[in-house]
Amino acid sequence: MKPKYRRLVIITLIIIILGIATQLILMALKDNIIYFYSPNDLKLKYGETKNIKNKIRIGGLVLEDSVIIENNKTTFIITDRSHQIKVYFDGSLPDLFREGQGIIAEGTFIKNNLIASQVLAKHDENYMPPEVAEALKKNGVWQGDIKQ
Amino acid sequence: MIPEIGHILLIITFVSSFIQSIFWIITLGSRNTVNLIILQKFAVTNFILISSSFSILLYSFIISDFSLLIVTNNSHSLKPLIYKISGLWGNHEGSLMLWTLILTFFTYLISRNKSQISFKLLSSILGVQTIILFSFLAFILFTSNPFERLETPPIDGKGLNPLLQDPGLAFHPPILYLGYVGLSVSFSFAVAALITGEINQIWARQIRPWITIAWSALTLGIALGSWWAYYELGWGGWWFWDPVENASFMPWLIATALLHSVRLLETRLILVSWTVLLAILGFSFSLLGTFIVRSGLLTSVHAFATDPSRGIFILIILTIATGVPLILYAIRSSDLYTEKKIEFSVFSKETALLINNLFLSTATLTILIGTLYPLFLDAFNGEKISIGPAYYNATFAPIMAPVILIMAIAPFLNWGTKINNNFSKKILFIIFITVLGALVLSMIKGATLFSIVCGSLSIWLFSGVLINFISQTKLNNLKKGEFRSWLNQLINNNLGMHIAHLGVAVFLAGITGEQFFKTEINGRKNIGDIIKIGDRFLKFDDIKFESGPNYKSEMAIFTLSKNNNLIDTLKPEKRFYPVQQTQTTEAAILSEFFGDTYLVLGDGNKEIGWSVRLYYNPLVSWIWGGACLMALGGIISIFRNRKTKPNIIIRNTI
Repeated sequence: MKPKYRRLVIITLIIIILGIATQLILMALKDNIIYFYSPNDLKLKYGETKNIKNKIRIGGLVLEDSVIIENNKTTFIITDRSHQIKVYFDGSLPDLFREGQGIIAEGTFIKNNLIASQVLAKHDENYMPPEVAEALKKNGVWQGDIKQ
Repeated sequence: MIPEIGHILLIITFVSSFIQSIFWIITLGSRNTVNLIILQKFAVTNFILISSSFSILLYSFIISDFSLLIVTNNSHSLKPLIYKISGLWGNHEGSLMLWTLILTFFTYLISRNKSQISFKLLSSILGVQTIILFSFLAFILFTSNPFERLETPPIDGKGLNPLLQDPGLAFHPPILYLGYVGLSVSFSFAVAALITGEINQIWARQIRPWITIAWSALTLGIALGSWWAYYELGWGGWWFWDPVENASFMPWLIATALLHSVRLLETRLILVSWTVLLAILGFSFSLLGTFIVRSGLLTSVHAFATDPSRGIFILIILTIATGVPLILYAIRSSDLYTEKKIEFSVFSKETALLINNLFLSTATLTILIGTLYPLFLDAFNGEKISIGPAYYNATFAPIMAPVILIMAIAPFLNWGTKINNNFSKKILFIIFITVLGALVLSMIKGATLFSIVCGSLSIWLFSGVLINFISQTKLNNLKKGEFRSWLNQLINNNLGMHIAHLGVAVFLAGITGEQFFKTEINGRKNIGDIIKIGDRFLKFDDIKFESGPNYKSEMAIFTLSKNNNLIDTLKPEKRFYPVQQTQTTEAAILSEFFGDTYLVLGDGNKEIGWSVRLYYNPLVSWIWGGACLMALGGIISIFRNRKTKPNIIIRNTI
């Protein structure tokens, strides 16, 4: 390649690749975003809707005495102390999954229940996912900042 | 009393690093070599001071001095010694101490440089390193003092989070930090080049080992973290595209691009200002990573208790460390060099390396957007979202595929305009092997289009690396003699590169197996039950209740056998840590060359049996095996003899 053409070719190449990348990013952002809701937000946004097409995440506390584990299939209730959502989960629970613990469940919302594909808790027992903390603050059940 | 000494040592280093920075700025224009000697002495002193302070903190952890807040929060007298030690860097304050320790050590190593590097350049590199040290010491002393005392020391500590009592924690952060701090060295080289206007092949030759060290350490550190997340439950498996994971992956991608662009700079003296830019960005991305992890702004599976004020401090460092060099770059980069008018053909190493850099930086961009987009959306309209693997599969993967395609071919292309005579023959060979491999892959049960594409890319690269290695090193031409000289010949024939590229192929094979061919069995089993996996049988033999050093355990004993021959015993466990009132699940993993048997024990009792979850993950260990090969390749290439390369020295001193 002659030097005088080189710059032209390189710049064209950069524009093409960046163009393709932008297209890919925009498409992926359109389809693959997972929205986060507290049980209360979900109620506010979707009202009495029974099904939500896209995957969502729901965060809150695991309601005390709501956890039933049978044949590795877990059922429990996520609460923000204002509304509740029942979660079905067939998979390994994280070690820090406990009643009263702040967690996030990801899955599809079918007939007012969350069929979770993933349940996330954190590495640190004092840690509260920021979304969960905020959702709890909004509903006035925040217990104050947890000591580290 | 002893911890106070550690604190005072930190304050002394902080003050003196400030004075040193001022000293460097004042003497910038000076031509007196004495200034360099003074800066070199400073580097030694800083290293001694910080390592003493670090040792004092380590000592407090070892003797369990609970009058220190950090020890109380992260240690316990009953903890095994290795976790008392790793407790030091398992938390924010201690991890920063480790950071500065490595920083001063690296600065000390650079200061001992006795080669052709000019004294002006070397003093500026040391100066920039000192300023980085100063900022981090300010960060430690003002927001995260590790030597903070408790007024009434408790009788015992709270203990380290049981999940973190793991060899993973002992090694993952320190090695990752070697990588992050290594990138600070290439950053300093770049900034020093901008200040002094000295950038040439000597600069490239000097910076390359540092980039390689940083890159190898990052590779190994990320692989360790990924392995840890794999065997620990509920962390999303070996890779989850979590913000914290991306935070370490972006600097790695930049370092990979830098590693290749500096090669172009070293041999052909092109891409000069681009290389400088990458070196600056590599460190910025490391800081951005620290910011993401420590600010708690993004939801992550790997998040720990965070503190927003610290986040703001890192953001300030990040802004200055990126902003100032970029302004400098805007002013100076056009003066740096006069681009050499070299000719090269479309099928040349130059083109391949250019494309490599273009794609790698685009891939970094897609990850950056995916990582930060939730933050922007939250600030913009308060909507909370997360971006998961689906986004990255749709953006990152297609952008990286061409990189793999070119990676197999690029090493046997020539520099410049001369086209390799055997080029088409080699390409045909690679295509032949790949098509053959793809056919075999498509016959595997459960093969999908994506699994065939992914597997074929791996085979493509395998055959490319193989034919490359054979043709480039001409094994029979190697002088047989002493082992050492034989090895040196191999290393000078790009052995490191071949191994690193082979690592990528192995890694891809691992991904293909793990992503597309894994199986899962789960159900309730009681003692005596037998589970069939392929041609093997897993028998539930017994359940035991035992006590560990600081936990109680419920352990199931399973035996895996084939044709009545015992293969191995698997012991999945559930542990209860009384100090923290926490239960952990320890999976039993039998790791074999062709796949892992991964067994998890759930709840249960003798009446109803225990719930058991069993996975078979084919080739999964190749993922980390591949990463280790990459790191090994990097380390080998450091030992390459640099004098054997074409020597076109062009100096542009302003």
